[in-house]
Amino acid sequence: MNAIFTAIFFAALLLFLFTDPDLFLASMLKGGQKAATLTLSLLSVYCVWLGFFKVMERSGAMRGVARITAPLARKLFRTRDEEAIALSAGNLSANLLGLPGAPTPLGIRATKRFLATGHDFAAEMLFVLNATSLQLLPTTVIALRLAMGSLSPADIFLPTLLTTAFTTLLGVFLLLMAQKCGRRRK
Amino acid sequence: MKFVSLIVPLLFLVVFAVALFRRVKLYDCFAEGAKEAAPLLLSVFPYLAAMLILSELFESSGLARMIADFLTPFYRLLGIPPEISSLVLIKPFSGSGSLALLSELFTAYGPDSYIARCAAVAYGSGETVFYISAIYFAGTKKKLLRPIAVSLLANFAGVVLGCLLVRIL
Repeated sequence: MNAIFTAIFFAALLLFLFTDPDLFLASMLKGGQKAATLTLSLLSVYCVWLGFFKVMERSGAMRGVARITAPLARKLFRTRDEEAIALSAGNLSANLLGLPGAPTPLGIRATKRFLATGHDFAAEMLFVLNATSLQLLPTTVIALRLAMGSLSPADIFLPTLLTTAFTTLLGVFLLLMAQKCGRRRK
Repeated sequence: MKFVSLIVPLLFLVVFAVALFRRVKLYDCFAEGAKEAAPLLLSVFPYLAAMLILSELFESSGLARMIADFLTPFYRLLGIPPEISSLVLIKPFSGSGSLALLSELFTAYGPDSYIARCAAVAYGSGETVFYISAIYFAGTKKKLLRPIAVSLLANFAGVVLGCLLVRIL
C-alpha cells in the first residue's frame, strides 16, 4: 500500500508541477473534504446498522446465522471462532442483499477479530470476497439507467450477475493458489 | 422490484420481534450498538482520508487519463471498448469517482448503447478494492500485496468477461 501511495503521489505531483501547480493543493483539499463528508454520512448509516446488529446479537439471531453458515465458513475461513464467523456471515449476507452501508461495519469488526486471533488468511479471504463484489442486484446502475431514459434498464442484470459470480470465484481460487505457493516457498 | 423493497422492513421486523420475545431491552440495546459508530469511523478516518486524497490527485492530475490512454491498445486486444478505460482504472480507487464517469458515459453514448452497457457491467461487477483495503485493514501492519493483487486481477478478468457477455447475451 505504501508503494502504491508513494508512486501515484509523486507521479501526480510531478504532473501538477508542469501543468497546473495551483490545482495540486486544491485537489488534496477536495479529497480531504470528500473524506470528511463521506465519514459524516457513514456515521449516520453506521448508527442504524450497528444498532440493528447489536439487537440481532443480543437476540441470539446472530449465533443462529453463524451456526447455519458454520460448515461453509469453517472451510472458507479456516477458523472456528464463532464471533468472527457470525460477523463475517452478517457481512456477506448484507453484501448479497445490497443493503447500503451495512456490510462495512461488520466487515471491519470481523477483520479486526480475525487479525487479533492470528487468522490472517481468514481476513484476506473476507477482504477478497468483499473486494470482488457479491451484490446480486446492481441497483445503483439500474436506477441510473432508468433515470437516463433507458428502454430496458435491467438488461445488464444477467451479464453483471454472471460476471460478479465469476470474479468472486476467481478471487477465491487465486487466493488459495497464492496461499499454496507461498507456503511451499517457506 | 416491489419484493426487494420489503427486505429491509421485514428483516427489522423479524429480528426485533425475536429480540422482544427474548426480553432484550430494545432502546438500551440499540443505543449501545450505535455508540460504536463514532469510534469505529474515527479509527478508519485517517486511512480513508489518505486514500480519497490520493484518488483525487490521481484523477485531477491527468495521470489516470494518461495511463488509460496508454493502455488503450491492450484493452482493445481484450475486447474492452477503449471508451470505458478510465472507468476501469478509477473504479478500484473511488466509488463516487467511477459513478460520475459512468453517468458521463451514459450521457455521451446513451444508456442503451454497447459502450454504456459494457460500462454498466464493469461498474456493477467490480469493487473499490483500494477503498475497501483502506478501511478494512486500517492501522494494521499486515502485508496487503497478496489480497489486493488477487482482487484487482479477478475484477479485471471480470471486465473482460463482462464485455464479452454484453456482446453475446
